[in-house]
Amino acid sequence: MSVLWRNDPGYPVLLAAIADPPARLFVRGVLPVGPTVAVVGSRQGTPYGQRAAHQLAEDLSNQGIIVVSGLARGIDRAAHEGALTGPTPTVAVLASGLDPIYPPEHVELADRIAVTGALLSEAEDGSLPLPARFPVRNRIISGLSLGVIIVEAAERSGALITARLALEQGREVFCVPGSIENPLTLGPHSLVKDGATLVRTVEDVLAELPEAVRAYARAHARAPAPARADSGPQEPELAAVWELLDWVEPRHHDELAEQLRLDVIEVSRRLTLLEMGNYIIGDRGAVTRSRRRLDK
Amino acid sequence: MQAHTLSGTVFGLEGMRVEVEADIGQGLPGFHIVGLVDRAVQEARERVKIAINNSGQEFPGQKVTVNLAPAQVRKEGTGFDLAIAAAILSCTVHRPLPEGAAWLGELALDGSVRPIRGILAISAHLDRSGANIFYVPPANVAEARLATSRPVHAVPDLRRLVRYWVDGEPLPDTVLEAGDPSPALTAVDLADVRGHAHAKRALEIAAAGSHHLLFVGPPGSGKTLLARALPGIMPSLEERAALEVTTIASILGGLAPGSGLITEPPFRAPHHSISTAGLIGGGDNTPQPGELSRAHNGVLFLDEINELRRDALEALRQPIEDGRLVVARRHGHAVLPSRFILVAAANPCPCGRYGDQKKPCTCTPPQRQRYQARLSGPIRDRIDLQVSVLRQPAAELLHHADGAESSATVRERVMDARARQRKRRPDGPLNGALTGTQLRRDVHLDAAGQDLLTAAGDRLHLSGRALHRLLRVARTIADLEGAADVAAAHLAEAVQYRESG
Repeated sequence: MSVLWRNDPGYPVLLAAIADPPARLFVRGVLPVGPTVAVVGSRQGTPYGQRAAHQLAEDLSNQGIIVVSGLARGIDRAAHEGALTGPTPTVAVLASGLDPIYPPEHVELADRIAVTGALLSEAEDGSLPLPARFPVRNRIISGLSLGVIIVEAAERSGALITARLALEQGREVFCVPGSIENPLTLGPHSLVKDGATLVRTVEDVLAELPEAVRAYARAHARAPAPARADSGPQEPELAAVWELLDWVEPRHHDELAEQLRLDVIEVSRRLTLLEMGNYIIGDRGAVTRSRRRLDK
Repeated sequence: MQAHTLSGTVFGLEGMRVEVEADIGQGLPGFHIVGLVDRAVQEARERVKIAINNSGQEFPGQKVTVNLAPAQVRKEGTGFDLAIAAAILSCTVHRPLPEGAAWLGELALDGSVRPIRGILAISAHLDRSGANIFYVPPANVAEARLATSRPVHAVPDLRRLVRYWVDGEPLPDTVLEAGDPSPALTAVDLADVRGHAHAKRALEIAAAGSHHLLFVGPPGSGKTLLARALPGIMPSLEERAALEVTTIASILGGLAPGSGLITEPPFRAPHHSISTAGLIGGGDNTPQPGELSRAHNGVLFLDEINELRRDALEALRQPIEDGRLVVARRHGHAVLPSRFILVAAANPCPCGRYGDQKKPCTCTPPQRQRYQARLSGPIRDRIDLQVSVLRQPAAELLHHADGAESSATVRERVMDARARQRKRRPDGPLNGALTGTQLRRDVHLDAAGQDLLTAAGDRLHLSGRALHRLLRVARTIADLEGAADVAAAHLAEAVQYRESG
């Protein structure tokens, strides 16, 4: 672990530009240099929110963009995991000290992040994750970044504080839309109403960033984002089931049998074939479409 | 003056032969019972003395000693009263006791004879060990006749016993008529359960192959209702199984007076706060069957299985692996049969809302993980079928569904499938308990099936144990369809009952 002082040459330029930059940062790993975007959201993220965070972070990483997040459960974790899938390092900013890691079940994730990227904290080792430290930590997350992507956030949540800080610091705010029935999308949706940029893909993010960053991304793009599944299976009896499925909301065997006017046994058989073809994801009676075909 | 006769008691589920010797001799007047007896047997002194005095006889004013042999085995209960009284009376009325007679029953102070528990097990054992005539309480006559083909006499009270000996007046043939076979109060007909087609199919498979089953769903989604429908689609008990179930009920005193064999599979649903002793069975000195044995040959429904205490959960392991429990107590160990279909129900997380898109779950991931992990690996490994159950509008649940099959129809298929399993393995286990080696012999896959099995293993990252579960379920699905070999279609259906994640 090393200590980075504000006058040190390695101190992040963007962070140094905010009104109240931390005087001293504890660093584990190596702080990567390059354009940075934060991906943050609720600890209670839904499966949809976590998939969205994972996908966006992975795509950003594939374009050479460093993903910053807070190592929290839920959306933060999905963002770090997604970023680690790509080639670019990721950075986690902690509210607690760097040792022990909080939350404890993310020790292993923290180790993987520190291999290529870095863990940062303003607090000394052994500092507890006290509620008051989180807003203070959030100013570092937004301060390090060109923009902040909010995935799922309840009203009056930490992620919305990060968004407000980002605006104060003059950074972009991006929001991922979701279901209007989900209370965790109240935060991002109200931000969009107030003028934040709605993002569906990594291209939506890049479009709002300076041209230099887009050029950097083009130069660093490793793997083009894999094509999304736009068509279901060829076999008509499997396609009939696939048509009724959704990417987000799981369907149950009983519903499918009723809608297709089929025997539940036949539905089970077809679902297994769809799973074998990787068209769908089954989880004990809750079935969703696979986001994309893995071409093998 | 001496008299000698037979009685018995229960240890675990087995009867035990006890010889009763009475001696009336010189010495200070008194009444002593010896032979490692517990408090209830010591109290027999008061009951026997007063019952004899209230029956027109006089308790001897001499030194009365009663010995219960074998003297090194602890004896419990009140079932020796009648034998002790009979031995003493035979001395006072100078009539020899019939050779090889067994006496079972508790005395009331007025001399009448009260029913006791475990008559079935005791009579069966005494029948094997040489008793040739039985004297039992009137309420237990029907039960004793299930266990022995030798003469069984009802002794209503001591007064009539004396008249029978002295005057030759026959004992009244007061056999209590069995009431109507008690209708299964818990029974729910499948036709009355609306929706839940996937879960109902899982019940059918569970009944046919005796597979353990797990329902996961939010509170109020109908898991309990579904579980209660299971006994109704299981075949009636064969004679041997019925005798086992009746014996357990008899020992626990759960058999109505005069009732005969229990032929319907039992359904037990203990609350999740149950103690380990409640599951396995208590008893300080001699083991008493608990819920795991009461569910023998039937269904054990554990709602909120994740809320069960850790040690209670672990107590499930031996029965679901071996179908029996070995219980050690101070005076020896007993083997209690406990082969049942486990129907477990669980919420998806502590708050019950995980996976619900509209109401977000308020549990933290570690809470959810800890909750799921309470069901330990060895128990999960034995649960072949896992189904998630959706919440349905309450009004629709008990509404008669159009076209839904009745339990009777499903039961026909289940019985056919069981018959096919019996043909394959006359004495062996049902599909739900097949081991890996047995599976290799019983499951023949065609090429398409083999491909599907390999693909499922790869795509879904199934462990060896998970593949065994898959094959066991597929075997039952094929049996339900009447197919000799397991086809890809059977396997494809089986995949949908696998564990989550």
